[in-house]
Amino acid sequence: MMRPSQIALTTFYWAFIVYLFLPLALMVVMGFKDSNFIGFPINAWTTRWYLQVFQDTAVLHAFGYTLLISIVSTALSLVIGTWCAVFLGPARFWGRALVFAVMCLPAVIPGVISAISMRIFIRAIGLEPGTGAIILGLTIHNVPFVALMVLSRLGAMPRSQVEAARDLGADSLVAFLRVTLPFLFPSLLGASIFCMLLSFDDFVRAFFLGGYQPTLPVLIFAELRSGMSPAINAISTVVLVVTAALGLWAERATRRLKGTRS
Amino acid sequence: MATTSERTGNDAALIRPQDGTRSFWTRLTANPAYQRASDLLLSSDRRRFWLLAVPALIWMFGTHLGPILTMIRISFLDSYPPSAGRVPDVTLENYLLFFQAPNYITPFVRTFVYSTCYTLLTLSLMYPIAYFLAKKLRPSRQMLFLLLLLVPFWVGEIVRTYAIMILLGNRGFLNIVLMGLGLTSRPIPFMYTGFSLGMGLVYLTSLYMLLPLYASLEKIPRNYLEAAADLGAGSWTRFRRVTLPLSKDGIASGCVLVFLISTGYYATPVLLGGPSTTVFAETIAGFFHVAGDKWPEGAAFSTIMLLASLVTVGLFLRLLGRRSGSLLG
Repeated sequence: MMRPSQIALTTFYWAFIVYLFLPLALMVVMGFKDSNFIGFPINAWTTRWYLQVFQDTAVLHAFGYTLLISIVSTALSLVIGTWCAVFLGPARFWGRALVFAVMCLPAVIPGVISAISMRIFIRAIGLEPGTGAIILGLTIHNVPFVALMVLSRLGAMPRSQVEAARDLGADSLVAFLRVTLPFLFPSLLGASIFCMLLSFDDFVRAFFLGGYQPTLPVLIFAELRSGMSPAINAISTVVLVVTAALGLWAERATRRLKGTRS
Repeated sequence: MATTSERTGNDAALIRPQDGTRSFWTRLTANPAYQRASDLLLSSDRRRFWLLAVPALIWMFGTHLGPILTMIRISFLDSYPPSAGRVPDVTLENYLLFFQAPNYITPFVRTFVYSTCYTLLTLSLMYPIAYFLAKKLRPSRQMLFLLLLLVPFWVGEIVRTYAIMILLGNRGFLNIVLMGLGLTSRPIPFMYTGFSLGMGLVYLTSLYMLLPLYASLEKIPRNYLEAAADLGAGSWTRFRRVTLPLSKDGIASGCVLVFLISTGYYATPVLLGGPSTTVFAETIAGFFHVAGDKWPEGAAFSTIMLLASLVTVGLFLRLLGRRSGSLLG
């Protein structure tokens, strides 16, 4: 027995799910079209576009490059973000609210302004556009998210755990490494996956801060500007599968950790 | 202070494992060099505070604030990057340029009108869904239904924009379906219009609306609504007088996030929009792509956009009766 409002809401939910999944499904299907032109109807089918992706050195290079940039910037964001959170969490000092706002700033600045201010900034500090610049830009963008996730986990940590470690003779560094850090692990895992996805998918920073080597989103953008073709569908589908698999795996892993640890 | 350092030195033996072998941590804390460093850096709350504070503050003020301040500084210069042997003059020209040409003001106004409309559209679409998830489902199913919504958002901006292009193109799925149903004889030009751009932006940003709404709705205790029902409130009154006011925080955060994020997209307006929908992000990017010395103008325009979006957000939060600081706290 469902009331009309319940039926309406359920229908609306599933309609929205269709809206979310239909374009992605169409994109996957279009990659199997045996023609150079994008468009329906599809009369002939082929797997050659998908097979080509794995032989296209430009795509493979871009994939490896994007992965490298994502991993390095995620690692940096984790260290810096955790550091900021551990500093701000227990500290009580004049101007804390201001410092907190500065920490969150990169998360709320519109993307294009963030990328362009970074482009000017790296010129001012004498850094060339390229790998280092993209990594710096992504790290700055990721740090607030890591710090906020770690802060919320730190808030849930019983003080007695660290105090017990101190009573047993651990100094504050050892207590941090052996007690606080393991406690933070679920939030660090969640944050690292979040950063990986943000970095791997990022377009605007890679576009304005990149050198000659394109990241995968920049490569797809460049191909799109020169015309749509099923080859782009195949590349995009590979990105889709990689990101969705990573996200789903992370979702399961963090759920299991939270279930056992906290 | 002294007691802390003594304890650190003497009690290191206590963390020696039972079996007599010396663990890495025991050896580390027994190491004289480590003990000296520990005494120097970790021996008091004040020292620990500064040890953590200095690198964190350098990072935050250097890299979070640095790029914005550099951008603002350059927006007042008459040339940048500086040419050899010439010190750039300070000028307001870059800001005045914005007010002189309608082809700058139009995209600016358009960006804010569009972003406001798309934000309100996203809110009206996502509120029922967040309400459905938080209030109409058993908790065990909430996570599954939420996860289903999350999956498409792990895919990046470019890929999802492209997916929308395939849906809306002249030979796209929507047009084929409409023609197949005989509703139209020729393809409707959905692409490169405000409609396609709106479809894309809603597609990209709705999650940032959904999550804060869901979080705030989920927190409303069920017995509040039961109490309202006992006092004779109908379902519409319960929604208007209890649910809606209590979800105000979620509405505020969701709208602010979606507004700021949608003003910041660059690739999506380029790919989904046309000449009649040029947004300010494209105008700004133009200054950084053409050869030549246009950075100060670009910096000035970026500063105008940043200020305008922050002011809009501030006014909006004031309208909802919230202090702007509480959003982050």
